[in-house]
Amino acid sequence: MKIPHFSRKTLCIPYAVFLIFFVIIPMLVIVFYAFTDKNMHISLGNFIRFFSDPTKLSTIVYSLVIALITTVICLLIAYPVAYILARSKMKRKFVILLLFVLPMWINFVLRVNALRELFNLLSSLQGMDWLASSNYFKTVFGMVYDFLPFMILPIYTTMLKIDPSLYEASRDLGAGAATTFLRITVPLSMPGIMSGVTMVFLPSMTNYVVSDMLGNAKVTIIGKFIYEYFGTDWHMGSMVALVLLVVVFVSTWLTGGFSSEENVRGANL
Amino acid sequence: MSGKKIASIALASLFLLPSLTALSGCNRGGEIVLRVYNWEEYIDEGGKGAFIYDELHLEDGEESDIVDDGYRAWYEETMRTPLSEDGPAILDDFCLWYEAEYGQKIRVEYSTFGTNEDMYNEIVLGNEYDLLCPSDYMIMKLAAEGRLERYDDGRDENGEPDGSYDFFDPALPNNYYVRNVSPFIAEKFANNAGLEVRNDENGKPITWQDYAAGYMWGTTGFVYNPNPTDRAGNPILFKDADGETTDLGTLLASIGWEAFTEPQFKGKVTAKDNVRDTYFAALGVKYQEELLTLTQQFAGGSLDKQGYTDKITGIFNATDEKTISEVEPVLMDIKKNIYGWETDTGKADMVKGNVYLNYAWSGDAVYALDLGEDAEDEDGYIELNYYVPEAGSNLWFDGWVMPKGANKQAAQAFVNFLSMPQNAMRNSYYIGYTSVIAGEEQEMLAYADYLYGEEESEDDFYDLSYFFGAETGTVGIYADEAQRTCRQLYAQFPTPDVIERCAVMDYYDEQASVRINELWSRVKAETLDAWAIVVISVSVLAIAAFIVVAKFGGKIDFFRAKPKKGYKLVKQETVR
Repeated sequence: MKIPHFSRKTLCIPYAVFLIFFVIIPMLVIVFYAFTDKNMHISLGNFIRFFSDPTKLSTIVYSLVIALITTVICLLIAYPVAYILARSKMKRKFVILLLFVLPMWINFVLRVNALRELFNLLSSLQGMDWLASSNYFKTVFGMVYDFLPFMILPIYTTMLKIDPSLYEASRDLGAGAATTFLRITVPLSMPGIMSGVTMVFLPSMTNYVVSDMLGNAKVTIIGKFIYEYFGTDWHMGSMVALVLLVVVFVSTWLTGGFSSEENVRGANL
Repeated sequence: MSGKKIASIALASLFLLPSLTALSGCNRGGEIVLRVYNWEEYIDEGGKGAFIYDELHLEDGEESDIVDDGYRAWYEETMRTPLSEDGPAILDDFCLWYEAEYGQKIRVEYSTFGTNEDMYNEIVLGNEYDLLCPSDYMIMKLAAEGRLERYDDGRDENGEPDGSYDFFDPALPNNYYVRNVSPFIAEKFANNAGLEVRNDENGKPITWQDYAAGYMWGTTGFVYNPNPTDRAGNPILFKDADGETTDLGTLLASIGWEAFTEPQFKGKVTAKDNVRDTYFAALGVKYQEELLTLTQQFAGGSLDKQGYTDKITGIFNATDEKTISEVEPVLMDIKKNIYGWETDTGKADMVKGNVYLNYAWSGDAVYALDLGEDAEDEDGYIELNYYVPEAGSNLWFDGWVMPKGANKQAAQAFVNFLSMPQNAMRNSYYIGYTSVIAGEEQEMLAYADYLYGEEESEDDFYDLSYFFGAETGTVGIYADEAQRTCRQLYAQFPTPDVIERCAVMDYYDEQASVRINELWSRVKAETLDAWAIVVISVSVLAIAAFIVVAKFGGKIDFFRAKPKKGYKLVKQETVR
């Protein structure tokens, strides 16, 4: 019996088909819808309407700010955690890591719902009235809670890869703890940070389940905007989606997401 | 394999896919498939909480009044199956009934949607169904766009009887819909053509009846907690316009739609997270005075019923630019005053006491009131009430329509099956909404009496004559005052004067739809002052510029320090 021989090119076919159907064609459809009007005529109307409307622009800016704040808070929490875990000589540190990652395995909507109930409970306590109406705070809190593992994991894995002898060398050459941290740890964990930042920043611009449930839908992020337009006007919805795509593309490019250097993406999950 | 080949395979599969899905939709092995597309949780699904199960499992071995021997006999005769103790689901029963009645196996492919617009998008995308359940304005939109099949009326194209099946012939044994539907609903469906008359392809004016058979109907209004308390359990008191202390119910009755913008309800009232209902509510807030004047004129006799209905329908469906610009600030005020926009969290928030008022559809209101009764607290249960603003509100209908290409025979059989009063009871009981079915023998009156009836007393008569097509004052049930004025009975079967002051929604034409969507996007958008946009954009750009410089700065001569005298600039790559 002849053993079927698969060339490298043949093996690429499923992936190519997948790419064409689920990436390239949908993308072209979005671009097509964004630049056509109701009668499918080519039109710049959506483009002009989008950029001449201050409310749409401020929603994008707001969304960016919420995503930025979420990312910064996640980074501030995740970095020390990852650092301590990676450097410590604890025997069962994977248990602690697991505790941080464990929530990811529980249904996301369930967790957000639980958080909503928790906030309701808290806001009924003495002196906590402010919580009921602080929708932005609750939204950011929920996003930090949900996306934190995505920040911890990549930073932790890159830090594990740092050769301990580098720390020793730095110490031998007379660098203090602060210098070692700033000159060795931070630069070498940069790929992990970048990967974590992209994984937190993007969903916090689009994940409107959190803002709807915790912010009582009074916080409008760009993802919700796209969703609402797709209920009624696909063309405008596609335009907003396209603008988001450009924002994402630029921010990924700036953070070095497209660099082909080996270690940059190595920490990606 | 060459790139060309890959492309051709991809293309071939692109064309294959639709034909594959088309295959799965048709008649295979003598089994018909009926594809039903309905609202979420909008049909009896059997089991616990369903009518039959609950009646068969009454506490303390009580005998059920409704699922008695007669009901059991009806069930076993209709489905040709013994009544299961587990509480059968209505879709399964339909398959049993259909096979027994028409001698052919049938399978129901049942799927659900969340909004009329979601459903509409699915239809436009070309998804095929046999039966849909849109609301009033969406029925009209689909019909006017020529996307629907007409119900069979036993006539050919020229309107001459041709002996074919007639859905509206009460003499045919399986035509349960036409025999059981409430005359009130039938009249609405026969005469409602929307704000303006629209014609079908043959130039005939369209009415709902041609394309739709009713399913559920109701009003919209406020679910409210008449006795809200603070954390310590002390009642919260409100002040009316004269500064007198009053309770929430009285205050609500005096301000009506303005509850949305009432400062005393700040953060304690919810609005719907969809443009149709919220725009409607904002119109109510804005034009409350005019609406109340019209009501008075109608009551005083200076306005006839048709004129009154036309006027309020006009106000509640206004989409011209002037109206939109007047309503926009109202919507902004609503946004500032409400607790949040909600789609289905309102009921739970009411029961938990997070909010005092929730703008709701009548069926959801019944559900919220039931939830409140089930919830335990120190006083036993949480009393919630339902109120339809004095100035008028929304009267809505959901109906079954058949999209083009539907299996009309099976679809109409399905509608007829659901229209048996016993099945209408099951659906109504399960979902809390009011069925359009009255029953040939006024069976639904017994159902209302079973749910809300009290000992007979002359003062407690709740008139339902309009719904059963009887003379005023002849048909009704005896219920206590709360049920008659603000509880489930009032929500499920609105009084005639509530119906008189309510308007049906029409659909927005294309331009109006764009205007309304833009309005909604402005309302939902985050508003930032111009200076904030500038500051934030500048800082984002500065960060971006900083990263660019840090990343590529070393490679661009411009950013590099001039070499000292006697040194030569070399490319960085070579230094590395």
